Amino acid sequence: MKRILVIFACAAALSGVATGQSAPNAADLLARVDANEVYNTITYKGKMIIEYQGRRYVKEMQAWAKGNNDSFVEFFNPEDRGTKYLKKGSRLYVYSPDSEQVMLISGHLLKESMMGSDLSYEDTIENERLSARYTPVLAGTEVLGDLKAWVLDLTARNRTESYPRRKLWIDAVTGDVLRYELYALSGAKLKEYNLVRAETIDGRRFPVESEMRDLLRKDSRTVFVMDQVVLDVPIADSVFSMRNLER
Amino acid sequence: MNTERRNRGSLRALATVAYRNIWRNGRRTALCVVAVAVAVFFNIFMQAWIVGMVASIEEVVRTYETGHVNVSTEEFETDKEYYPVQYPVAEDRILSELLLELESLPGVMAALPRITAYASLFDSTIKHALLWGVDMEKELKINLFNLADRTDGLVAGRFPVAGSNEAAVGTEFARKAGIKIGDPLPLKTVSAQFSDKYWNPTVVGIFEFDYRKFDEDVIIVPIDRLQRILVLEEKTQQIFVYVENAGKSRELKALVAQVVGNGHVVREWGDNYWVAYMRQGNIFYVLIFAVFQVVASFLIINTVLMVIHERIKEIGMMGALGMTRTEIVTVFFLEAVFLSIFGAAVGTVVGGAASLIGSIFPINLDTITGGGMKEFPMAGTIFIAFSPAILLQGFLFGVVVSAVCTLIPSLKSAFIQPVEALRR
Repeated sequence: MKRILVIFACAAALSGVATGQSAPNAADLLARVDANEVYNTITYKGKMIIEYQGRRYVKEMQAWAKGNNDSFVEFFNPEDRGTKYLKKGSRLYVYSPDSEQVMLISGHLLKESMMGSDLSYEDTIENERLSARYTPVLAGTEVLGDLKAWVLDLTARNRTESYPRRKLWIDAVTGDVLRYELYALSGAKLKEYNLVRAETIDGRRFPVESEMRDLLRKDSRTVFVMDQVVLDVPIADSVFSMRNLER
Repeated sequence: MNTERRNRGSLRALATVAYRNIWRNGRRTALCVVAVAVAVFFNIFMQAWIVGMVASIEEVVRTYETGHVNVSTEEFETDKEYYPVQYPVAEDRILSELLLELESLPGVMAALPRITAYASLFDSTIKHALLWGVDMEKELKINLFNLADRTDGLVAGRFPVAGSNEAAVGTEFARKAGIKIGDPLPLKTVSAQFSDKYWNPTVVGIFEFDYRKFDEDVIIVPIDRLQRILVLEEKTQQIFVYVENAGKSRELKALVAQVVGNGHVVREWGDNYWVAYMRQGNIFYVLIFAVFQVVASFLIINTVLMVIHERIKEIGMMGALGMTRTEIVTVFFLEAVFLSIFGAAVGTVVGGAASLIGSIFPINLDTITGGGMKEFPMAGTIFIAFSPAILLQGFLFGVVVSAVCTLIPSLKSAFIQPVEALRR
């Protein structure tokens, strides 16, 4: 569920990384991105606004996460009320009020859209550091809007990665991940992420509104808005339990 | 003298001469008869096959794809290949009342709601399937789903009961996924509100409809349960209207359109792409048959030319004895007509026998195609049509085409001068 918290929401603060004019080392830059993703805990209330082929769907949720491994999300909007996801390590479970059963999401299903959004389940459960999975190359600088950004080109070390290539734009001043693109092995661009708004929470730059586009879906985008974000406050282990999922 | 001459040159007398002539070279005659017979057999058998195939397509379309008259929304039609569920029919009306109103139309047997939606299976062998939400009790009163055996198609267990957490799957689906009765079938689908919906129905039945798409891809579930899962409340994605006389579907279509109102797409089964395509193809088939018949007629044309060449002195003699050019041409033309008639008769008998056998013992196309015609709305078993009309049509077609082809070479005999012919 890390990516609900991070990929979707977290293009995190990289304060102090790229404030200077001299080009930073690509590996250092990526390590800073990874370091930013590592927090003890997070809780928030979120909204997923899905716009698909002229229709708009709003999903409301509350999420809890601990480190990189444990997370729990419960949906509250009327259509999805009672649907819960639990991530334990690399395993993703779902509780559906329709079946009143817990099911393990695995295999090909992980590549499918989650809750109708532009994010796949796989996007939400990947939890290894980018620096361990990709080789970064600093591709230069670009101006996004009126912000100067470092461009990192990442190539997967392992052929089994869902996205063999990624491209990141990192704000040269604040260190926010302003944008990233995910590519297939063929070189085709699959997804696009854009940061909409970041805030400083407890001294940390944190993205609270972002947009993801699955380019394989026609006329589709998902905006993710986080509210009441609380970082590094202890969360009981019982939150991340099967019992809580089934309750 | 004139009367005698008229008698001598009458059509009957010329026909007698022509008939006797064809037996002067039995081997050559047999060859011509066989050539025409093969062409006529091919034409009859192919036409019987095509008629059977078209009937199969029409039946599949009526049973599974459209009913006799089909109602959906304009938005659904735009994205039909994705089976969107967010565009229900007559959203502002109570479905049960709408169905009753449709059923009260003259000639309507039933108005059946159906919902089709994509599902992703948790099983990795068969990744995706189609959920088919139907009221099976009502459906079975109208439709015989197994198109080969004319039965409900159930091979094990039973169909899911309304409101239950049950499902039935096709034989191919069950075989590939290793599913048996009593097994759970965990799946995910997307609701009308674009939400992921997880469902775990129990398999209570296995069916074989002899329609590959359904036997391999479809999970039958109760429509009321699927409505709840898809958050469709009491709505439906499509309505299938069945009438007593399928031929009157076009008239009913206008009445149905009036009942459901604007924003809907109302179609009759004849509007289906494949039905229209096959019907339009008829001219194409006639052309193919004609080409085949003409090619077979080349043998007769060749025979007539050879005969004229061989009998050139004889033609000269006939002219010298007073036969007119028309009478000489008629003799040769009638020879060709006799060959055509004998050939067409043999071809009709053999073609008729073959199509009769094919209509009693259907051909399993799945064994030929390996089940590769899933996207084609046709039953896996094809009954070849046996029809006297097809036999008569094939016979006449064979005789006429072959005879017409020999007209020009027969005319050659008319331009032979008796004196020159006798000198050779």
